[in-house]
Amino acid sequence: MKWKIFSRKKRKEQWRLIFQPDGDMADVMALPGAVVEGQIAGRYLLASGGTAGTVIIQGVRRKGILAGVDVAIDHQAASEHDVDVAYQPRGGRASLRPAETVNFEEMMLNASDKFVSTPTDPEDLACLLYTSGTTGRPKGVRLTVKNFLCEQQATQKLLEITPQDKIIGVLPFFHVFGLSNVLLIGLAHGASIVLIPQYSPGNLLKAIIEHHPTLVIAIPTMFGHLLMLLERKKVRLPQNIRLCVSGAAPLPKEMIGAFETCSGARVLEGYGLTETVAACCVNPPDGVCKAGSIGLPLSGFEMKIVDADGKELPAEEVGEIAVRGEGVTPGYYNLPQDTEEAFRDGWFLTGDTGYKDQDGYFFVTDRKKEIIIKGGLNISPREVEDVLLSHPVVKEAAVIGRKKGEREEIVAFVTTRGEVSAKELVSHCKQALSSFKVPDEICFMETLPMSVTGKVLKKELTGDYQDERRIERKETGSGSID
Amino acid sequence: MSVESNGKRLGLVQSIERWAASSPDLIAFHFDGESITYRDLNLRANRVANGLEALGVEKGDRVAIMLPNIPEFVYALLGILKLGAVAVPFNTLYKGGEILHILKDSGAKVLIALTNFAPMINEIRPELPALEQVILTGERNLLFAHPESTAFIQLILQRDLIRDVDGAYQKMGHILLKIMEDLGVKEAWYKHRGSIRVRGTKIATFVIFEVEGIALVNAVVFLGPMDTKAFLRVVWVPPEIRDKVIEPLTSVEQETGQRPSWDQVKETVVAAIQQAFQVEIKEGSMVRDERFGYEKLRSLAYKAR
Repeated sequence: MKWKIFSRKKRKEQWRLIFQPDGDMADVMALPGAVVEGQIAGRYLLASGGTAGTVIIQGVRRKGILAGVDVAIDHQAASEHDVDVAYQPRGGRASLRPAETVNFEEMMLNASDKFVSTPTDPEDLACLLYTSGTTGRPKGVRLTVKNFLCEQQATQKLLEITPQDKIIGVLPFFHVFGLSNVLLIGLAHGASIVLIPQYSPGNLLKAIIEHHPTLVIAIPTMFGHLLMLLERKKVRLPQNIRLCVSGAAPLPKEMIGAFETCSGARVLEGYGLTETVAACCVNPPDGVCKAGSIGLPLSGFEMKIVDADGKELPAEEVGEIAVRGEGVTPGYYNLPQDTEEAFRDGWFLTGDTGYKDQDGYFFVTDRKKEIIIKGGLNISPREVEDVLLSHPVVKEAAVIGRKKGEREEIVAFVTTRGEVSAKELVSHCKQALSSFKVPDEICFMETLPMSVTGKVLKKELTGDYQDERRIERKETGSGSID
Repeated sequence: MSVESNGKRLGLVQSIERWAASSPDLIAFHFDGESITYRDLNLRANRVANGLEALGVEKGDRVAIMLPNIPEFVYALLGILKLGAVAVPFNTLYKGGEILHILKDSGAKVLIALTNFAPMINEIRPELPALEQVILTGERNLLFAHPESTAFIQLILQRDLIRDVDGAYQKMGHILLKIMEDLGVKEAWYKHRGSIRVRGTKIATFVIFEVEGIALVNAVVFLGPMDTKAFLRVVWVPPEIRDKVIEPLTSVEQETGQRPSWDQVKETVVAAIQQAFQVEIKEGSMVRDERFGYEKLRSLAYKAR
């Protein structure tokens, strides 16, 4: 007997294609959204015959932005630039979420609101804050509970925060300045904080006008923007501000004066590091404010100027700034070598060079690592930058040393307000500087790379800088694949 | 010193808990027209502490926070401190290499970040064995579309078709790689859960979403160079960080000298998916129920905030 064998050819499953090359921005979200909703509804209705798979291929006929509802959009600019704006509706509890992730809101909803805080020891680690500095890879700075509490005590003496205070929260909280000197100290003393998630000069001014803060803690760039905006918009600051604090980078003297005039409040300039949980030296609110100075050490901090051997230098002599106190980090995370090098006899070496005057006020001159050594002579980038900035056309300047064979060359990066030749800038420098300090090369830039706190990222200006935004094929290490 | 007060040891959250108890209606922060009291702040921080504990976070564990100044940052930070864990807040502008370094170095067990960072986190996650949980929040997604540049490829599948997420990422990566090859892009590569790149630069990217047993693969392929200047005027970004916000991109046109036509894109994509899933794909349109949902979603998208 013969069996006839039928080869039953399995019919391929059929999927659907929705092809729309000329849709709009909303379709990018609405098309797949509708199919997903349809599938869910279909399941509850026990409907059968729904397609197993749908493929959507779509493009847009006009430029567009699809934005989450929390993204700040300038609608006027959008229509001026022919950009469609569509919002992604706020996700509900059962909304799409990236696979293998937890939704923050869901996690909170499912958890109890009662919790007894775990007891901590003063030496326990509270935060690891990564500081990229302006050179090298980010290092984890270990900050203990004690470090934060000491810093709070020190700054509270200066700021005297009460529940009546309202503080502008524009400095990012992921940075030590905002985290320690705005968020944690504000909440510890019952103040209210105005959260600004996305800095723009307009957002900041709007928040100040709307909320009438009593304390404005910001960086020089922001004070500069505010001054410009106040003048352009012909508006006045509300007169509730009682104190302003500026840090992270030097604030020009004229700007301090201008801002004090329009706010009616003192502007205190200070100095701090991630390693000192932010401020450790500030111009006193009731004493003498010296222009260009970072002021006096805060209570709980000691500071001195040391030479290369760690010996204390007398007033007016330039050396490295060293700090000691309960607010100073115990060291870097997983980096015993770096930690050892950063401390000498219990003093933290800041890597900043500077001096102390006869009255005990401190002045910063440069980052130690940025000092350029040319022909055996030390050159202060800051000094060259100041000369460049004194030229009326120069807006910003950053000076670095670039290795050329055995020697280091001085390279100046500048942004300008108008036309100027490299030759003119060089001759401008020649008038004010000894010849060995005059830049060997001047590079004109549209903008200088800056950190969130307004510091020029000099490492990005050196020739061998590797763009960290790129992800290379090699798993780790520094090499690129080419 | 301040650490000892009335003979009791103080941490960083006790002062806040005291305000919550003594002046519960005192305002802790203002955000987007809302005011959050110290009582609510404390309760929400408690929820985060409990939530993190349920996810396995213990005293001393590192929890990374990559968030801007939004309420979730504050809840997360205080929740972490209440647990006695270590907060690792870092710059929201950091990109792949830097984030990888920080998460690896700190050995973070959990990362709390904005939802829009999902693709980037996916890309580095396989290299972070210590990272057990990724918690996402915020409605800050931002997607640019340009008539000459972006092609969106979206797949809606029953979740059982893809079995596990790992496998799905692997499969989709290879489908996109195949599409790139068929469009003439040489030297494109794909690393697990990553974007499709040519050298170090992104040419296509995708994320897999899931909800109630359904998976949505959302991919975008760059057909031609994208001029992002206009977009950055609409979404305010400080000029000095403008080029940090957008990852460097390349496109099929930049790599091959020619932008493919839409018909070519359709053919290539359909062929690649048919082959990968062993299915037949027929062009169709939305059914009635879908059309209804579609109109609803469109009106939500254009409703002024």
